[in-house]
Amino acid sequence: MIYKTSPEIGGMGHSVKRKEDLRFIQGKGNYVDDVNLPGMVYGQVVRSPYAHARINSINTEKAKAVPGVLAVITGEDLAKANLAWMPTLSYDKQMVLATGKVLFQSQEVAFVVAEDRYIAADAAELVEVDYEELPVLVDPNKALDSGAPLVREDREQKNNHIFHWEVGNREATEQVFQSAEVRASVKAFFPRCHPAPLETCGCVADFSRATGRLTVYLTSQAPHAHRTVLALVGGIPENNIRVISPDIGGGFGNKVPVYPGYVCAVVASLTLGVPVKWIETRSENLQSTGFARDYHMMAEIASDRDGRMKALRVKTLADHGAFNATAQPTKFPAGLFSICTGSYEYAQAFCEVDGVYTNKAPGGVAYRCSFRVTEAAYLIERVVDVLALELKMDPAELRLKNFIPEDKFPYKSSLGWTYDSGNYEGAMKLALDRIGYQELRKEQAEKRKKGELMGIGISSFTEIVGAGPSHDFDILGIKMFDSCEIRVHPTGKAMARMGTKSQGQGHETTYAQIVAQELGIPAGDVTIEEGDTDTAPYGLGTYASRSTPTSGAATAVAARKIRDKAKKIAAYLLECNENDLEWEPGKFFVKGAPSKSKTIQDIAFAAYTNFPPGMEPGLEAVDYYDPPNLTFPFGTYICVVDIDQGTGEVKVRRFLAVDDCGNIINPMIVEGQIHGGLTEGLAIAFMQQIDYDESGNVQGGSFMDYLLPTAVETPHWETDKTCTPCPHHPFGAKGVGESPNVGSPAAFVNAVVDALSHLGVKHIDMPITPWKVWKVLQEKGVAA
Amino acid sequence: MALKIEKTFEVPEPVEKVWAFLSDPRMVATCVPGAQITAQVDEKTYKGAIKVKVGPSITDYTGEVQIVRLDTENHEIEILGKGQDVRGRGSASMKMTGTLRALDNSGTEVRSVSEIGVVGILAQMGSRVITEVSNIMFGEFTKNFQARLKEPSDDPAAPATGADVKPIKATAVAWQATKGLFRGKSESGS
Amino acid sequence: MAKKQLITVKVNGREREAAVEARLLLVHFIRESLQLTGTHIGCDTSHCGACTVVLNGKTVKSCTMFAVQADGGEILTVEGLASSAGQLHALQEGFKQEHGLQCGFCTPGMLMSSYALLHSNPNPSEEEIRWGISGNLCRCTGYQNIVSAVQHAAAKMAKAGSEANLAEGVAK
Repeated sequence: MIYKTSPEIGGMGHSVKRKEDLRFIQGKGNYVDDVNLPGMVYGQVVRSPYAHARINSINTEKAKAVPGVLAVITGEDLAKANLAWMPTLSYDKQMVLATGKVLFQSQEVAFVVAEDRYIAADAAELVEVDYEELPVLVDPNKALDSGAPLVREDREQKNNHIFHWEVGNREATEQVFQSAEVRASVKAFFPRCHPAPLETCGCVADFSRATGRLTVYLTSQAPHAHRTVLALVGGIPENNIRVISPDIGGGFGNKVPVYPGYVCAVVASLTLGVPVKWIETRSENLQSTGFARDYHMMAEIASDRDGRMKALRVKTLADHGAFNATAQPTKFPAGLFSICTGSYEYAQAFCEVDGVYTNKAPGGVAYRCSFRVTEAAYLIERVVDVLALELKMDPAELRLKNFIPEDKFPYKSSLGWTYDSGNYEGAMKLALDRIGYQELRKEQAEKRKKGELMGIGISSFTEIVGAGPSHDFDILGIKMFDSCEIRVHPTGKAMARMGTKSQGQGHETTYAQIVAQELGIPAGDVTIEEGDTDTAPYGLGTYASRSTPTSGAATAVAARKIRDKAKKIAAYLLECNENDLEWEPGKFFVKGAPSKSKTIQDIAFAAYTNFPPGMEPGLEAVDYYDPPNLTFPFGTYICVVDIDQGTGEVKVRRFLAVDDCGNIINPMIVEGQIHGGLTEGLAIAFMQQIDYDESGNVQGGSFMDYLLPTAVETPHWETDKTCTPCPHHPFGAKGVGESPNVGSPAAFVNAVVDALSHLGVKHIDMPITPWKVWKVLQEKGVAA
Repeated sequence: MALKIEKTFEVPEPVEKVWAFLSDPRMVATCVPGAQITAQVDEKTYKGAIKVKVGPSITDYTGEVQIVRLDTENHEIEILGKGQDVRGRGSASMKMTGTLRALDNSGTEVRSVSEIGVVGILAQMGSRVITEVSNIMFGEFTKNFQARLKEPSDDPAAPATGADVKPIKATAVAWQATKGLFRGKSESGS
Repeated sequence: MAKKQLITVKVNGREREAAVEARLLLVHFIRESLQLTGTHIGCDTSHCGACTVVLNGKTVKSCTMFAVQADGGEILTVEGLASSAGQLHALQEGFKQEHGLQCGFCTPGMLMSSYALLHSNPNPSEEEIRWGISGNLCRCTGYQNIVSAVQHAAAKMAKAGSEANLAEGVAK
């Protein structure tokens, strides 16, 4: 039961203004680069200009001779301490500093430590590396050819194949395709892009010779996991490592992996006994840290002539770069990609993914992707539109015909996921109504007669978040639970700590609201802390929209444990039986005699001063929450575009996002998340790509070429919602952070293709630049 | 990153005199700003170095220049130059075909087609910087070429440029690049 | 050791003096020499605007200037927006009320650009606001609530202005 709370208490549903804002608007945030410790020195990485080359020698003498330089570390130095390689989050290994050869342009080759960052930069210029160029592999489609350059000589298996993964029933699916009346397929490339949070990655590694402890201020979305990895890799006892993620300037998955710069800074600090700061530049961030996507996908639908979809077949080639450094739950090398059945019922489905190495930066899981869900949602929403074209059916109608009906939930998909709850029709109908769909189609028909190009794109996505239940999910063996610890003080205020780590999601406010909801303590009286591994309970961090489903749940469960104890104290204070008490947010009262009550504040005070004999004093609880299932937020997005026939520019005229993330804690914060995610989706659909030329040179290695939308390109976003609570979550919430990035690329692309479909266009790959559109217009003879 | 650059210019000298100069890499090197031939390996191969300065950024390449084809009758030479940055910041290669044509005014037309490949940090800048730097360098080359042809040309060992290279002004590159946006791809290839 | 020059800059109303290398960037001077870490660094190509400060009345990207270029000048950073008694500027209030920030990293730059915008155009349209902050990148908010925040501040400042005028008028 979800009680209604007053605005003063600020429980669920209230748009409480954010507490964390106070320091940010005054410029008093504490980001890693703001950390300034006595005696601190600076590190800079020296990077490879080649995508694939043997290292013949590295000469660090000139660099070492620069006054103010304290150390120049190479892979050879690290190898002596067995640190030249480190494990990745996908059970592969990655070079910390290159030994033997370099595998991608911008790979880390040496680490210079100096008194200030200018001297470090001067010295980095003087490190001389003798390279011997090797043939470069940049086309993943060629990675498995017999003559392809071998990227990884260190593996036993001498080829570029990382994994083959499949799920579903290949033969049964094939059979359905054999007898299908209609088949529609699409080859859809999801280009390599990069989350580019405004704050780049970095750390201050501080080993104290006085205490024997290593403190690392780290841009980390998962501080505890990083602490454990540092302990395992560095051989430092875990109780002597403290990871502090202070304020993080955006994560979006970029701050989940462990980067060589971190390890080098730690090694330097251990060696020199002083704090070492390493902050990467934007170019380093774009060129060497965890990229996103790079999935070459093919999907095929078997359907009958009336548009009843029968089967789905998907084949994907995943370009992982030089190391498999994706952050993935162990059993899922392609993440949660098998959500690609989306919002629809398929009697049979089959999905296979092959991962390959290339001479590019490592990564793959990032940019608000929910573990490859962005790729899956894009694919299914594209191929459904292609089927609609094939059948000459309205794309909204085709979707409505095939949605999993509300009464079939929990629904087991043919690729094995049990969707918790859904009302796809509800979201779709609300969206169609609010956008004025029928009028828009009429307008489009009129415009087509005049030769004008206007398109309407729909994306009815279902996504999967909240990883995850211990029987299926772990990262490097650590199960993916999460935690909350709450302590109520004698004067009725509270403090709570979680194992997640906000990078802008507003946890200091939303988690306080959960406590407010459950205990009736005003959200303003609850202090939330995350990110310090010395004090916060163990958790797996914030990414994949998992905070509300896991730590949020833990917070509610811990609060309920406190409420249970509070009830006993209240009964003692009111001299009655526990069963005679009723609860409303903030107080227990005697049934039928509401004036006989005790507030939670009274109870808190009593927990320290007047508690029942034999009861443990204090008022606190901890919960480690192992979610019973994932959650499945969904929605329908509709995008309206007009195409400028002179320039090929696509103008987004309207974009409506109807999201369903179950019960909402703070509507203002959810709306802000949607705005941000849609803007990222816009960027991906129209302007972003990290590409490589045939020599492996990065194109898109700085903001000159890798474009971020400004306030001018970004349209006005319209948002709305439906609410289908999650049946297995303590307060019915699902999480929502990634939905807008999951659902929107298909809406944008579907809109552009819809604008041109009457000319025979079926698909255009992202990024849909004006140049690409202009070429199509020329080809079809409709350019201005 | 591969770029194709075509340049044509005239020299007021007879074609045989120009050919004698153009077919000797040691002579050609004296006209390229920052370049020098450091040794001759065999009849067709030379070792060389070139220092390219753009603003405060210096790149030193060392490598080889090879005469791939020498057609004395038709006055055509094809050379292949490959170099690596000594500090390990990248590499560059250039295949250049030079063709001479005698003109009516007893001058010679020199036509060069170059394919340039760049690997490394510079390549990330894309054709923007590389094209403009090449244009500026080629402008210097033409000036030097015409000047050297006028002088008595016996001493192949004296480089006109080499150690003291005047750096290309970064502002000049930026200005050229900006102008280039407006003038379109007329002379330079893309 | 490289030669250093003595520079004097007025920052947030206070005279500050320091010996700096000619190549020291203004943003490093602000963040490290002056320990005002509200101004941030988000890129290396002058695109993101996280380093925006107001110098001699105009916004500048402090990552693209040398500290010596600011010698004798007057700088306003985000730390100087609130009054000395701690009362928040209307813009800071606006950002909080309208949820104009999430991770907070772009916020100081946004505040300074908006500050300058409202000084030259106290009643901007939505389009003018979007153009006014187009030199500041944000990854979290999608800009919509930032626009609302600036509108909120503009309305508040206009009201305060007219109230001040009214008070003046009455006093007269």
